[in-house]
Amino acid sequence: MSSRADAARVATPSMKLLPDKLTRMMFGLAVLIFLVTPLVLDDDFWMTVLANAGAFAVASIGLSILTGFTGQVSLGHAALLTIGGYTVGYFGADHGWPMWAWMLAAILIGALVGVAIGPFALRLKGNYLVVVTLALVFITGYVVENWTSVTGGFDGKSVNSASLAIGPVDFGELHIFGRDFSREQGIFYLCWIMVALTALVGRNIIRTRPGRAMRAVRDRDVAAEVIGVSNARYKIAAFAISSAMAGLGGALYAISLRFISPSNPAAELFLSIRFVAIIIVGGLGTIYGAVIGALLLGPLPELVQEFAGLFDFTIPIVDRPLVGDSPADNGIFSAASFSEILFGVLLVVFLIFAPEGIAGMIRRLRRRLAGRSNVDPDNVSDN
Amino acid sequence: MAERSLLSVSATTLEFGGVSALLDVDFEVESGELLAVIGPNGAGKTSLFNCLNGVYTPRHGSILFEGIELVGKRPARIANLGIARTFQNLALFANLDVIDNLMLGRHHLMKTGLAAGAIWVGRAKREEIANRLICKDIAEFLDLDQFGSTPVGLLPYGIQKRIELGRAMAMEPTLLLLDEPVAGMNLEERNTMTALIQQVRAERDMAILLVEHDVDFVMAIADRVLVLNFGRVIATGTPDVVTVHPEVVAAYLGAG
Amino acid sequence: MEKFFQLFVAAIALGGIYALIALGFVVVYKATGTFNFAQGGFVLLGAYLVYQFGDDWSLPFFVALILAMVVMAGVAAGIERVVIRPMINGPPFTIVLITLGVLLIIEQAVRTLWSEPAYVLTTPWGNGVTEVAGVSIRHVDMWTVGFATLVLGGFFAIFRFTTIGIAMRATAFDQEAAAAQGIKVGRSFSISWAIAGAVAVVAGAMLTSRTGSVLTPGLSFIALRAFPAMIIGGLDSPGGAVAGGVVIGVVEVMALGYLDFDWIGSGFEVVLAYVLMIIVLLWRPNGLFGTRAVQRV
Repeated sequence: MSSRADAARVATPSMKLLPDKLTRMMFGLAVLIFLVTPLVLDDDFWMTVLANAGAFAVASIGLSILTGFTGQVSLGHAALLTIGGYTVGYFGADHGWPMWAWMLAAILIGALVGVAIGPFALRLKGNYLVVVTLALVFITGYVVENWTSVTGGFDGKSVNSASLAIGPVDFGELHIFGRDFSREQGIFYLCWIMVALTALVGRNIIRTRPGRAMRAVRDRDVAAEVIGVSNARYKIAAFAISSAMAGLGGALYAISLRFISPSNPAAELFLSIRFVAIIIVGGLGTIYGAVIGALLLGPLPELVQEFAGLFDFTIPIVDRPLVGDSPADNGIFSAASFSEILFGVLLVVFLIFAPEGIAGMIRRLRRRLAGRSNVDPDNVSDN
Repeated sequence: MAERSLLSVSATTLEFGGVSALLDVDFEVESGELLAVIGPNGAGKTSLFNCLNGVYTPRHGSILFEGIELVGKRPARIANLGIARTFQNLALFANLDVIDNLMLGRHHLMKTGLAAGAIWVGRAKREEIANRLICKDIAEFLDLDQFGSTPVGLLPYGIQKRIELGRAMAMEPTLLLLDEPVAGMNLEERNTMTALIQQVRAERDMAILLVEHDVDFVMAIADRVLVLNFGRVIATGTPDVVTVHPEVVAAYLGAG
Repeated sequence: MEKFFQLFVAAIALGGIYALIALGFVVVYKATGTFNFAQGGFVLLGAYLVYQFGDDWSLPFFVALILAMVVMAGVAAGIERVVIRPMINGPPFTIVLITLGVLLIIEQAVRTLWSEPAYVLTTPWGNGVTEVAGVSIRHVDMWTVGFATLVLGGFFAIFRFTTIGIAMRATAFDQEAAAAQGIKVGRSFSISWAIAGAVAVVAGAMLTSRTGSVLTPGLSFIALRAFPAMIIGGLDSPGGAVAGGVVIGVVEVMALGYLDFDWIGSGFEVVLAYVLMIIVLLWRPNGLFGTRAVQRV
């Protein structure tokens, strides 16, 4: 029997990259939209918003592997983005490393920090481990503020001069078929190419032995250990992967913002909670859910700020606008508060009413569309 | 004894806050035999399994498996040595399908790590397909191949019990621990399971240590029986010897 | 030596505040097994309520304090009822994530409701100072230690002697078994959250009225610094929360008082608490006074 025939005989949805025709079509459509968007939407604001969403998607895939597939909650995700950002600032901008090198550095340094969680993952369970990840936020903040030779301290640092070139392709100034692309368009392409690669790596890990082990640890830790899956090893692996992806996402985010500066631990914690909201709203237990979540929620603060005008209608009784463009407008909410509250509300509402997130809704929709089909897509095991 | 036993448990004591769950337990399991452990509720049967697995660490004593000391080893390490187990209250990975559950049994027999897995093409894919073929055979043997990609948590209890047996078989153990394999089953499911266990024994060279309440089931299937009461071994021997042992009779009547 | 005693007094007072914050976490954890990140938000909101009732509406301070405690007890119990209770039997980390969402909402709600950047809370103790043997002790510090002692004593009495306290302990240990014994699990949840809300008001008021402190939304950040206190003490031990609070208070104040910050850098005292927590956890995974979870297969 040929190996191709073997593969066909044993393939289940959990083993395939794109399990069915509809998924393949959707994926093709997504690629098409990706290619066309910068051509149609030739606007720096939108390009930056979407590039940021891409950077968030890379980091969210990481958190999804940690939380969705391994069952570990982390509040330190934002700290790892910060670390990734300073990595590109230091190696990419200050030392002029080529793009592949600073990307690799962001990934490796992220992974190393993730592995540092290891000894705790070995000994601690649940809530105690969550607070250790919170410690990461405080420690990173302290290091960033005080290691000024590398981070620039409170002044922050520009990452604008970091190379965006790989081989002959420079994402900073793309020319394709005689057409010039802006830096923002180039970064959009770069970020979303990295989303695709990260998703591919994530999916490959999930569908093979290490990913299966992580899901086993998530579902039943003691049983997993008894059949030979070392809990500690796969928790550490999940932290390492998740942190590496967060490091890469942070590097891309810094590139897109052109500048990185310290933020206080509370803001970092809130950013971490935003990532949790992203993966919950997108849907745990799928990679594409994290991408959808990042695309929808990642740009929320920028969008609320940009479109505060849409929410400035006056609320009758208090006679104030709902969202104020600026403090002078005396809005009930400032734009920043409004988007934070949206994150909080979406997180709570989804957890209570739609814990499977948008990915779960898509599954249910497909079941309805499939109609009389015997297979119940809602009952398809996670993959 | 000239030949070394597959498993030899000696003077093993397990305590919880000063209360002994197991007291000076001694016994041996020979290659290929089926030893049944019976005893009233709370006699320490599941605690014994947990010691063999490394879930609990005994206070005293020694557990040698193929000459290797198990006391102090982590459960995952013990599994790698060739001891598989099923659980009294099912311990499947509820969100995964049948094949993925069986594949987890083969975890220690596979090699794909993070790097190979992330790349997929090549070693990871080859290993994945080869092992899925084996799991598919096991699923067919246990009549589990009909459930496709349904998460096993949604399947009926009797089926889940069979999946657990399948996962243990996928581990290719030299010693299989079965914790109440027919508990909570109706007569038909029970007969199926009994036949399956006997078939597994016939086809594969493994010793089985099983805990069960159902005395009729035990007498029908076991080579030897070990009786625990209040954490002590009160009798060992062939089924017909043990059933008439005065202490055993007293323990069961007393408990009943 | 005088410097040491002076710092020691300050350390105990800061420890008292951390203990008060941590006690609110612990009561919910002990009674319901829920790790409530929103407690920092309760502390923040509680302090603003005291300001609202006392300074803005000109009620006497203790009336304002008690009113705020009643309101916060209601708010906390309400939050529990609406967003926590439905998820009790959900996946294990759902509730933790919900409390994070609630924290986010409370923090922003406070920013929205009280839009000035900072307020000053007027208290009976004000900036009063008493000299004892050459060491000046602030009145606010004495009150803080007094309140922390009172709350700890109250918890001890509730958990040890009252039926509702025993019911709460049973609920935390095993909800199903407790329900089977006729314990009203829901009531245990409501009461523990209400207590946490009320204690948060006291913590918030003391935190805000410390000399040099003002009321800003950044207070919830200070509440985050209480995490090491309760982790060091052990999540389910009220006495441990107080001990942990004092340990962190001492470490923080002594570090500020004695270490050379040119070399160590700013913010070190905050990190130190977390570093200390990490060391304690590596040594004792359940904190100093926490009970060890029994592993079940």
